[in-house]
Amino acid sequence: MINPFEDFKEYPYKKKEIPLDHIVRAKERVMDQIVEGYVKLVEEEVKDLVWLVENSRVFKAYSSALRTIQQVDYDSDDIEELCLEIDKGGRIPYLISGPAGIYLSALCNNAKEERIHLRLHEFKRTFHFLGYRLPEGKTLVLEGDVGDFIGAGLSGGKLIVKGSTGNWAGAGMMNGELFINEHTGQNTGGWMSGGEIHIDGRIRGIAKTILGGRIYQRGKLILPHDMTARE
Amino acid sequence: MKNAVECQVDIAVTVLSVAHDSALYPSGLPVCARRCEKILQTYIAVTRIACRGSTWWGDLGRRPQDFVVNPFLACYAEEYIEAHKIEEKARGKDMEDGNIRQKVRDIYGFIQDNLYLNRPDMRVGEESFNSALLFSLLTALNRGKELIIGEPGLGKTTSAEYVAAMTYQLPLGLIWASEVSGHPEQTEEKIIGRPDLGRLNQGEEVVVWSYLAQLPIKIVDEINRLPETKQSMILDGVDRGNWGYLNDVIINEEYCLFATANYQDRGTNTLIAPLIDRFDVIVESRHPGTNLALVIGMKDRYENVLRSPVYERDFQEILVEPRDYQEKMKRIEDLCDRFGDHMEKEFSVKMLSQGERKEIRDCVQEIPLDLDANAFLRTVIAELSFCFKYGQKRSDEHCEEGCHYTGFLCHHIKNCISNRFPMSVRTYSQSLAWLKGDEGVGIEHIKTVLPYTLAHRLLWKEDYIAQKQGDTRRDPFQIYLAKEMVNEVYRRYNEQSRHIKNALAVAYQALSGKDLEPIEGDHPIYAEIKQDLEEVR
Repeated sequence: MINPFEDFKEYPYKKKEIPLDHIVRAKERVMDQIVEGYVKLVEEEVKDLVWLVENSRVFKAYSSALRTIQQVDYDSDDIEELCLEIDKGGRIPYLISGPAGIYLSALCNNAKEERIHLRLHEFKRTFHFLGYRLPEGKTLVLEGDVGDFIGAGLSGGKLIVKGSTGNWAGAGMMNGELFINEHTGQNTGGWMSGGEIHIDGRIRGIAKTILGGRIYQRGKLILPHDMTARE
Repeated sequence: MKNAVECQVDIAVTVLSVAHDSALYPSGLPVCARRCEKILQTYIAVTRIACRGSTWWGDLGRRPQDFVVNPFLACYAEEYIEAHKIEEKARGKDMEDGNIRQKVRDIYGFIQDNLYLNRPDMRVGEESFNSALLFSLLTALNRGKELIIGEPGLGKTTSAEYVAAMTYQLPLGLIWASEVSGHPEQTEEKIIGRPDLGRLNQGEEVVVWSYLAQLPIKIVDEINRLPETKQSMILDGVDRGNWGYLNDVIINEEYCLFATANYQDRGTNTLIAPLIDRFDVIVESRHPGTNLALVIGMKDRYENVLRSPVYERDFQEILVEPRDYQEKMKRIEDLCDRFGDHMEKEFSVKMLSQGERKEIRDCVQEIPLDLDANAFLRTVIAELSFCFKYGQKRSDEHCEEGCHYTGFLCHHIKNCISNRFPMSVRTYSQSLAWLKGDEGVGIEHIKTVLPYTLAHRLLWKEDYIAQKQGDTRRDPFQIYLAKEMVNEVYRRYNEQSRHIKNALAVAYQALSGKDLEPIEGDHPIYAEIKQDLEEVR
C-alpha cells in the first residue's frame, strides 16, 4: 500500500502532546529520580542483607538520603506516590523497612510544603521511622497505622498519627509534638530529651530511659510524674 | 583545507618516498613495490587516455610519477577520475540544459519583442512576465492544454500560434491550416477526419485525417462557440491524444492544445465540465495598453518571418499522403528540423527541435517539489475537496448552516477539485522552476501557477460572487477570485506551516507502523490526514 506521506519521511516530527502529557512526563521523571535515589540508598545500606537499627547507621542512612534528594524537585504528592510504589513493590527491587522510612522522612523534612499529609491506611506494608528528625515549622500527618520508631529524633516539628504506632514511638525526640490518635507499642518515648507526646489510646509500655520531655495520655500528663504532682 | 583524496595522496607519497629510500632498501625497491610500480604505470597510461590527456594529477598538485608509487593510490586515483568524469558529464549536461533554457528564453523574448507585444502582468521572483505568453510557452513545452480567454482581437489565437510555431518548428501557414474554429455547424469530419471518397467509391474505408488530428499543435479557436453536444467530440483527442474515426485510430505521442474563448455573448455556449477540467491552465490575453496598442497598430506584420510557403507546401504534401501515421510523423519531424535550420540560417530565429523538447521534459520531470511547496499544495487541495458533513465536496450537496469550516474555501465553492488539478500544478510549477533555472519547486512557483490552474475549475457560490463582484481588480473575475483564494490559503498555511508539515510527518510514521496519534489542528488538512490514517488502521 502506498504511503501518501512518503515525501515527509525525513521531516523531523514531534508527537502529539496535550498539557497533561507534559505534567505526567514531568511527574514520571521526578518519580524516577526519587526511586533511583531510594534504590541507591538501599544498595549502600544493606550490603550484608541485614539492616540493624543503630544510631550511627540511622544517621548515616539519613545523611545519604539527604544527599540523594538534594537535586530533585518534588512535592508532597511525590512522597505519597513513593509510598504507593514501595507498597506495590513493582519498581522497587527490594524493600528494607528501615531505610525506606528514613528515606521518606528525609523527603518530608526537605519538601517545599510545610504541611504534608500521607494517607497510609490503604497500604499493606507498615512504614517505620516516619517523621524521623521532623524539623520545626513542618507538620506531618500520617493517616493509618504505622510501624516502629515513628517520630524518632523529632526536632521541633509536629507529627500527627491518625492511627496506632508500633514500638519506640518518639524515641530520642528532642523537641516538637507527637500526637497519636490511637495506641502505641512498647518503649514509647525511649531516650527522648524534649518535646511532647500525646496519646489518645493505650500505651503498651513507656521506655525506661527518658531524658526529658513530656508524655500525655488522653490529655493527662503521665510523664514526668513529679511534674504531674506539681501541676 | 585538503580533501580526502588529497590527504590520501600525501600519505601515499610519503610511503613511496620511504620505499625509495636507498638507506632503508639498499638493494632497491622491495619486490612488491616494484610490481605495484609496473601496475600503476599501466594504470596511469590507461587513465591518461581515459581523461583525454587531461592532467588530473595536476589538479592535486602532483606529478604523474608521484602516482606510480603506491599500490594504495590506484584506488584513490581511480576514484578521483570517476568523480572527475561524473562531474564533467554533469557540467556538460548543465551546460546543455542551460543552452536549451536560454533558447527557450530567447523564444519568449523574440515573441514578446516582435510578435505579441503586451505588458508584463505577473512577477516570478525578480522577473516580470506576461502571463498569456509565459503559460503558452509552458503549455507547448509541457504537452499541456491551455484555455485563452479575452476580448476579440487581443491576440488570443495569435499568441498561441507564434508559440506553437517556434517551439515545434512549424511554419505559421501550416498552423493556420490546422486550426479548427468553433461554430455551431462544425462537424466531426472537419475536426477529426473524413472518409477518402475516392477509395470509398472503390469499396475501401480509408480515413483522411485532419491536420488538427495529425499535428502535435492543436489550436481550437473560439471553442465556446461549439455547441455543448459537439464539445464531447474532441474530449478524447484532447485528453489522451487518441483520435478515432470510422474504425481507424491515430495516437499523438506528443501534442499540446490551445483553445481560445470569448467572453459570454449571444453566440457562445458554456463549456461542458469534463472539457473545461481537461485544461491545465486558463489565461487572459489582455489589452496591451494604449501606448503599446498604438505601436502594434503602426508596426508591419512581422509574423511573416514565421511563414514559409515552400515549407508549408512540403508539410501539406506529407500530411495528405496515404501513409502510416507514425511514418508520416517521422517525415514531418525531419522536415521540422530542416525548417528550423532554414529559419536559423535565414532569419537567425532559433526554434526548438523534438529532441530538445524531450530533453526539457526530462529535466522538468526531475525537478523536485520542496516540502513547503508540497505541504502548501496539500493544504489547497484539502480546502477544495473537504466536507466535514458529507465526506467530500459534491456539486449537488450544500453546506450546512453553522458548519465549523465556514471560514475555509470549501464553504465558498460548489464543486470538488479534480485529480487533474494537482497534475497541472506540479507540471507547470516544475516547468516554471526549470525556466527560471531553479533547482527545486518552491512555494513561490506554486503560488504563481495556482490561480491559473484553478480559476476555470472552481464553481463559486452565488453569495461569495456577490460579495466579491464589486472589488477593484485588473484580472478577469474568475482569475481574480482564484488569486484572492490563493493568497487566503497561503496566509493560513503560513500561520501553521510547521504544524502541517509535522502532521504529515507524523502521518508517515503512523502509516509505517509507529504507534502515533494523528496531529490535530484547525484546518481541513488535519481531518483529511486523520481520515487517511483511520481508514488504513
